[in-house]
Amino acid sequence: MRTDLDGEKDERLAAQAAGGDRGAFDALVTRHRQAVYRLCWSATGNAADADDAAQETFVRVYRSLPSYDPARPFGPWLRKIAWNCGLTVRRDGNAGVPRAAGGDAPEGVDPAPGPEESAAGNEERRRVADAMAGLPAELRMVMVLRAVEGLSYGEIALTAGIPAGTVMSRLSRARKRLLAALGGGGS
Amino acid sequence: MDCRETQTLLTPFHDGELPAADRARVEEHLRGCPGCSALLADLARADRAAGVPDPGPAYWDRFNARVMDRVEREADGPRAAVLRPKGGWVRQQLRYLVPAAAAAALVAGIVHYGGMRPGAPTPTVPPAVSEPAAPGSAGERRTEAEPESRAAKKSEGTAVARRVPPPVPARERFAPVTREEPDRLADRSLSSGNVEASRDRAAALSAPSPPKTFRDTPAASPQVTAADGMTQGSQAERKKMERTAAPMAEPQGAGKTESASGIRVAKEASPGSPCERARALAEREQIREAEAAQRACLAGDLDAPSREKGLVFLAELLDRQERFADADAVIADVDRRFPQSRPLDLYRQQRPMVQKQPKAVPVTR
Repeated sequence: MRTDLDGEKDERLAAQAAGGDRGAFDALVTRHRQAVYRLCWSATGNAADADDAAQETFVRVYRSLPSYDPARPFGPWLRKIAWNCGLTVRRDGNAGVPRAAGGDAPEGVDPAPGPEESAAGNEERRRVADAMAGLPAELRMVMVLRAVEGLSYGEIALTAGIPAGTVMSRLSRARKRLLAALGGGGS
Repeated sequence: MDCRETQTLLTPFHDGELPAADRARVEEHLRGCPGCSALLADLARADRAAGVPDPGPAYWDRFNARVMDRVEREADGPRAAVLRPKGGWVRQQLRYLVPAAAAAALVAGIVHYGGMRPGAPTPTVPPAVSEPAAPGSAGERRTEAEPESRAAKKSEGTAVARRVPPPVPARERFAPVTREEPDRLADRSLSSGNVEASRDRAAALSAPSPPKTFRDTPAASPQVTAADGMTQGSQAERKKMERTAAPMAEPQGAGKTESASGIRVAKEASPGSPCERARALAEREQIREAEAAQRACLAGDLDAPSREKGLVFLAELLDRQERFADADAVIADVDRRFPQSRPLDLYRQQRPMVQKQPKAVPVTR
């Protein structure tokens, strides 16, 4: 269907998508869906809500593309929308979205662990999961954007709407809490 | 540099955010201080622990198709499905322009008919009639009190879908997503080995759509009419137009019902719900009561799009009571919670009119 969009810049893809190019929009979704999902997960702390917010993010992006200025970087604009969608889903407490099996929301499943993976490894992963999920959203967000996405303080500050100094202090607190939850360090 | 000063700088040092001069000083201290070096190692350990459970390839396989399905449902209401040409942005613009042009033609027709025909009764303006005219109805004689722009906006501002419940996560096995994961923000110069595979999966998914995933659009119809100001004949005419449009519309109509006042509502909104009551009260100009009902509605369980629209509706109700500061606060809240809010954009265009004529028919649905 698409030929070679890999080299396309986000801003150009966004401009094409705003002009009605569904392929360009699809490419944008593909390029950013995992990062958006992670950011939404950091806002909500669970897979079903992250799915909800990630889907909503791209719907909003689609609706807003006609007003998007390609002269401005796409990434921060997208992250801002994603974070707000995540917070909205969280704030709403998923009202009106009953939990039922059989839909498309993620099950929080990674490719199945290989046989070589030990029970101890699973336990470690569970503890890590609990530690992350147990962080307040604001701390989880800076951890995900910094440690997973590799964003700078400035980029994180832009997404969260907070000063860069606050990003640093939140990172420091988040790491301490993670280390404390994992055992050892973080004192 | 002593340990205390070093430790205050460890976080920005670890994150590469320290100016070169400070960085050199910290490095110098670390070379001779095992304690501070251990703390630095802890920061790296915390970062390795920071991960997000990956939903797995099956989830990503369907992700784009689900987005597109939802975009289709939310961006295009049933009426728009009739009008739209091919092409995204142009399609959206036509959703404004065609009903507006039809309504303008209608008004012109009324003026002409009433003003030129000898003995014709002077057209009277009913208290509340508004409806974006169907394409085929532009030449028909109708009374039209609401400015055409408002009628046109109505068809747009109501297209919001309700989500079908996502399932409970079956398992929460944790799979930290590390920086090596390929499909992250494109600006990052990271491995992209799996990007192709991921995209191929998405491309291969173009055919199947997930109809089970999302529910139908509530209150998405532009055919919103104040029954109070509409004659029997015009109601019948409206229903006829709806029937004409229905076969071409998306099967969303299956999920809707029509209230006594002519407002199309989602089936799941029970007639006695506060949300429904708010709209019915607003139709009857009982704005204060409508506001109370709308607040009760917002206090209940709503999905995000419904909440977004509901807040905008609340702002309008406040404007209609000339409580502009309260309305401003609600609008600011919508702005904060729903950046780029389409319903709010639409209402902003209507707002001066609402503030000028607080008794007019509500424009927000």
